[in-house]
Amino acid sequence: MATSIAVSPVASEKAPLNVLRIVPGILLLAVVGYAGKFLEKFLNTYAKTHHWTFPNIEYVLWAIVIGLVISNFLTVPKIFQPGIDTYEFWLKVGIVLLGSRFVLADMLKLGGISLALVVVEISLSLLLMHALGRAFKLTPKLTSLLAVGSSICGVSAIIAAKGAIDADDEDSTFAIAAILALGALALFTFPLIGHSLHLNDTVFGLWSGLGVDNTAEATATGALYSDAAGKVAVLAKTARNAMIGFVVLAYAIYWAKRGQASTVGNKAAFLWNKFPKFVLGFLIMSLLVSFHAFNKDQVTSLANLSRWAFLLTFAGVGLRTNFRQMSKQGLRPFVVGALGEVLIAALTFGLVVGANRIWGL
Amino acid sequence: MSTESNRQGFRLSLDTWAVILALALALAVRANVLNKIPW
Repeated sequence: MATSIAVSPVASEKAPLNVLRIVPGILLLAVVGYAGKFLEKFLNTYAKTHHWTFPNIEYVLWAIVIGLVISNFLTVPKIFQPGIDTYEFWLKVGIVLLGSRFVLADMLKLGGISLALVVVEISLSLLLMHALGRAFKLTPKLTSLLAVGSSICGVSAIIAAKGAIDADDEDSTFAIAAILALGALALFTFPLIGHSLHLNDTVFGLWSGLGVDNTAEATATGALYSDAAGKVAVLAKTARNAMIGFVVLAYAIYWAKRGQASTVGNKAAFLWNKFPKFVLGFLIMSLLVSFHAFNKDQVTSLANLSRWAFLLTFAGVGLRTNFRQMSKQGLRPFVVGALGEVLIAALTFGLVVGANRIWGL
Repeated sequence: MSTESNRQGFRLSLDTWAVILALALALAVRANVLNKIPW
């Protein structure tokens, strides 16, 4: 699975869009996601009718757990794979639609704070991952990929950097597997820590958006805590994603100067190519809502459409995570990734708590 | 718009398709083609 994880995002960009091939997998995402939503409602109703004290477990967790059970204990037929790989597409659709839940003033305030924290987080994470890579004697390019993946946005950043610095397939597979495995762990550990420390939704959402690497896992981690935290996590993660072009460009120039990657010609074109376009969509949607392009009912409909898109994403997060395959990717990159992630999680936690003291989030 | 050039000509990236679909859905909601989407 990890190999297919590493290859599929690249392949999905290049393969011709064949709608029929993706239908079975999308249906599976819908069934798993809806089963999660059904379980949340059913268990809550059942507990209420029988006067049980039962914690409200969000559909997000159920969708991920059902997906994990299917991918780790059953064999998912190949016919479903192309459709399962579309979960990132639904994530981006969901993020753009979620822009409708931010009026410009909120976006500027929280987005501004997020951007300031993102710059600090990226700088410290890059330094930290390079120090760890050197200490554990990883190859310089694998270290670069792990640094990009853990400081910005996981898989997309690694794929963007791989092409720019001419890294090996094997290095990028290692880096992606490590980032995904750690993202899966963050899904369960972040909410536990957040609840035990009684963090408010904004603080937890910011921490998830800054501390969890892959966009799907960051969104899911925030949503597992609460709907409001999920919303903030997406905003913080989007601010982080917006920086992808600059960091990848810096790495491309660094490796080109060493004669180990192609020279970057037009830097503006390079930045535009690497810039995640869904960030623009997210901003456009927020602008439309801020200028009252939609009435209240329509904004509710857009928010609900975003939830449906995320439902497919969360099912995909569970379905594409195969721990057995990930464990085959080797221990050292994982140890470096894990050490780095724990330190980055602690660092981003400190940043967010500090920001909360200063700005009162 | 971001495009990808290959042997089959220019293709929009997956990101751009996601933005197009989301904006098309928003337009459908604005025009009341899609209304009162439940959750």
